[in-house]
This record gives sequence, structure tokens and C-alpha cells, in this order.
Amino acid sequence: MIEAVQLTKAFGSVRAVDSISFSVGVGQIVGFIGPNGAGKTTTMRMLTGFIPASSGRAVVCGHDVFEQPMAVRRSIGYLPETPPLYGELSIGEYLQFIAEVRGVPRADRLMCIGDVMERVGLSGMESRLLGALSKGYRQRVGLAQAIIHDPKVLILDEPTSGLDPRQMLGIRRFIKNLAEDRTVILSTHILSEVEALADRAIVIDHGTIRADGSIAELLNNVGDGVRFRVELTGAEAVTVATAIGRLDEVKLVEPVASADGVLAFDVRADSDPRTSIAGLATSEGWGVRAMERHAPDLEEAFLDLVGVEA
Amino acid sequence: MSAAWAIYRKELRVYIVSPLATVFLATFLFLAGLFFYLGVTMTGEASLRIMMGNLSVALMFLLPMLTMRHFAEEQRAGTLELLMTAPIPLWALLLGKWAATVTLCVALLVGTLLFPGLLAYYGDPDWGVVATSYLGLFLCCNGFVAAGMFASSLTEEPVTAGIVGVLMLLPFWIAGTAAEMVESETARAVLRELSLTSHVDGFSRGVVDSADVVWFILFTFSFMFLTWRSVESRRWR
Repeated sequence: MIEAVQLTKAFGSVRAVDSISFSVGVGQIVGFIGPNGAGKTTTMRMLTGFIPASSGRAVVCGHDVFEQPMAVRRSIGYLPETPPLYGELSIGEYLQFIAEVRGVPRADRLMCIGDVMERVGLSGMESRLLGALSKGYRQRVGLAQAIIHDPKVLILDEPTSGLDPRQMLGIRRFIKNLAEDRTVILSTHILSEVEALADRAIVIDHGTIRADGSIAELLNNVGDGVRFRVELTGAEAVTVATAIGRLDEVKLVEPVASADGVLAFDVRADSDPRTSIAGLATSEGWGVRAMERHAPDLEEAFLDLVGVEA
Repeated sequence: MSAAWAIYRKELRVYIVSPLATVFLATFLFLAGLFFYLGVTMTGEASLRIMMGNLSVALMFLLPMLTMRHFAEEQRAGTLELLMTAPIPLWALLLGKWAATVTLCVALLVGTLLFPGLLAYYGDPDWGVVATSYLGLFLCCNGFVAAGMFASSLTEEPVTAGIVGVLMLLPFWIAGTAAEMVESETARAVLRELSLTSHVDGFSRGVVDSADVVWFILFTFSFMFLTWRSVESRRWR
């Protein structure tokens, strides 16, 4: 459905996007994640044909973005970072305009507009002026314009930015429903959003792809092995930390907050160290309160890939 | 074509609800009334010649206010991204916007029909001259709108676009005066050819010279072409 081959965009001497390649199939939701200024928006703009690539190429629905821009434009729905609205128009007038320029046949227009307004939760608001809408409603109108012509490919640049948690959930559910027979690319810097929505995440930083794969794959690749939380009683923190640290499989032991005589440690290990720790506890006479595996989250995977900002 | 039609109606809609067009119309009609009054009382003739000459200059200063938002505002509000990623051919975008502003100009000119009406009531104007005068103003509008659109495509500040538009048209007005001041024959001929006033003059005297008509058409097309190139090149910057 979408294929990018060594897509590059240079602004002067700065390479905003540097030789990015990926392909996305039908029915997939792909999340671009990355810090601000990583090149997500630029990549999306090149896919829509809004800005031409400096080199490399992109193919959408079998049409080259540069060679056949009109065919590409017809097959995509696009929500830019700020919803492109005309403040002077009402919601109804605006969607009417979009339906016309998007080539929705005259006979279907009213039905399409009514349908799309209902789907994004704007029913009965036809006559509201766009200029007077709140951020959440502007975003909904933005989504409505992106899907009104029932496009095969949806490109959504930060579809939930600036929304409150309830609106976010609504929009996410909506996008999830859309994806059944479409291809969706969305960008975000909210990691839980990718986790909730996307089948696949592409991590972009400094204009290059740092990781590309399913969420599970990304999580497996978290650098320093598996994490465990161990809680013990009846011992000295220092002795415990040294003793556990001496175990073969353990790479790192970090004491965390302890209360009521319970010592808690974060243990990173190559393989499950719980049996050895339990053995150690029995021989040393410590009480074991809890030992559990700490599932790595996307946050860690992300920071691991792009590094922490100094 | 349907895209151009949709753009055209959208632009008209935005004009109708925005105060800009209303202020513009009021100002223009006020000036027209003033020029009419002065023209008739000064010459004592039942003619629109003075009014028409002055109105073409007034349009030069006022029309860029109507066109300044065309691309500048779209760029600033992010809606240009919408238009450039929807299946709208660039020519349809330009044509729709241009035609919408020209339509507003026609409404404006229709508003000034009051004055020849007054002349007819109290005197006996030459209707042929009235008709050619209006043709001249209409051609002016076509060209000025194109120039204003070009100015608007150069910046994302509507006000800057308005000022640039006026500055762009100004030389065509000054060229007439400059032509009288230069020594060299060729320079004078060139300046005359560039001068807006020398091409409007015929129309207000009742003469339709095909050279003048062609001049205005060329003027319009040149600026439309520049706008085309400018909007297209925006994406590359």
C-alpha cells in the first residue's frame, strides 16, 4: 500500500529525513514515534506529496508520489498537525467544500457528510462556525475531512494532540475501527497511544529509523536484559546487594525505596535469577516478600532507542 | 472544473462573511461618489471620464486588500496543505480564487451604475462611452487581481501581501508620468507602453483599441503565470 525507498529530505545542509525506507500493507496501523523534530511530519508530508523528497521515492497505492501526484492525492486522507480549517465557514459548509474538491459524487455528498459527522461525534453541529470551535472539536472536524471520501490510505499527524483523556480514547477507538480495510500511518509522541492503536511502531529520531517492528519485538529488544523486582526482609541492604550482584546471571542490582524493614531491589539479569535468589535467601536466612518479573514497557524501549535528552 | 467551481464558491463565501469585503465595498463606493461629484461639478459635462480615471487608480490601491489573503492566509492557517494534498489541479485553484475576486469587482462596478443612472436622469450621457469605460475598469480589475494574487503567494503575512501588491502595481501608474519626463525616445516609448493610464485612457474616451485589450489580457496572464510558478515553488523551499 505504502512504500518508501530511501526517502530523504534536506533543508539546506540539515537532513530532516535521512534515507528512510519502509513499507506498510493493507489493514495495518503503523505508528511513527519519535521526539519532536525527529522528522515524522516531514516524512508524512513527503508521502502526501505536499513537499517533494530531495531523493528517494515513495509509492502510495501503486502510484509514485512524484510522478502521479493526483492519483496519490485521490487515494489518501490526510490530517496535518494543525487541522486545516477555515474559521469563517461552518462545519457543514466546510465539509461540503471538502466533499466537492475530494470528488465525492454530488448525489452522495449529503449522505457522506451526515455519516462522517456522526462517526466523529459532530451530529447536529452543521451550523457551528469553525473559528469558534474548541481544540477537541477542531480535531474531530480535521478527522472528518480526512475520511469523508473513504480513502484507502490515512495519514494522521498527531491525531490526538491537545485532547483530554476522554476525547483521546474516543478518537483512538475511532481510528482503530477505521483501520479494518485501510492503511493507517499516524504519528505521535505519546507511547501508550502506539501501544493502544498500532500493530507496528517505527521509531524515528534525527531523521533516521531507529527501530521498526511490532510492539512485542520492540519490547524484546530493550537493552539490559530482563528486569525483576525483589523484596526481602531481615537483612542489610548492602550485604544483600553484593550477594545478589555476585550471582552469574545478574547484571545489575539497584536498591529502591524501602519501608517497614522491607528492602526492595531492581535486578537486571540475562535469565530468570529468582531460583538462585531464593536459594541465597534460604542459606542467609532472609525473608522473601516478593519476587516478580517486571514487564518492560514501551517507555523504556523508546528511551533505550533514542536516548535521554541531556 | 468542479474543483475550480468549489474553490470559487468557497472564496465568495469567505468574502461574504468577512468584514473585509464590506469595508472594501463601502470605501470604493464612497470614493466613486466623490469622484463622480467632483468630475461633474468641475467640468459641467454629463460624463464619467474623471470618475473612471480616478477609480482605476483607486482600484490599484484597494484591490490588493481583497487579494492579500488568497495564499498568504492559506499558508498561515495551514489550509494550503489541505488544498495541495487534495486532488485539485493548481490551475483550478488559481482560476477559482481569481474568478471569485473578479466577481466581487463586478458587483462593485454594478454598484456604481447609480452614477450613469443619475447622469441619464439629469442629462444625456453618451452610453457608448459609459460602456467602454466600464469595460476598461473591468479589464483593470482582472489584471490587478492577478497581480495581487501574485503578491499574496510571496509571503505568509496578508498585510505584507497587500502592501507588496500595491508596490507592484505602482510602477505601472508612475510609468505614465515618467514617460513625460525622460529625454530618450525609446525610453519614453517603453514607459508609455508600460503605463496603465495610457491604456485606460482610450476606454474612458469611448475608444476600444484592440492593442489596449491585448495589453490587459497579457498583464493578467503574466501575473497569473508568476503566481502559478510562485505557488508551485513554495513546496521546494
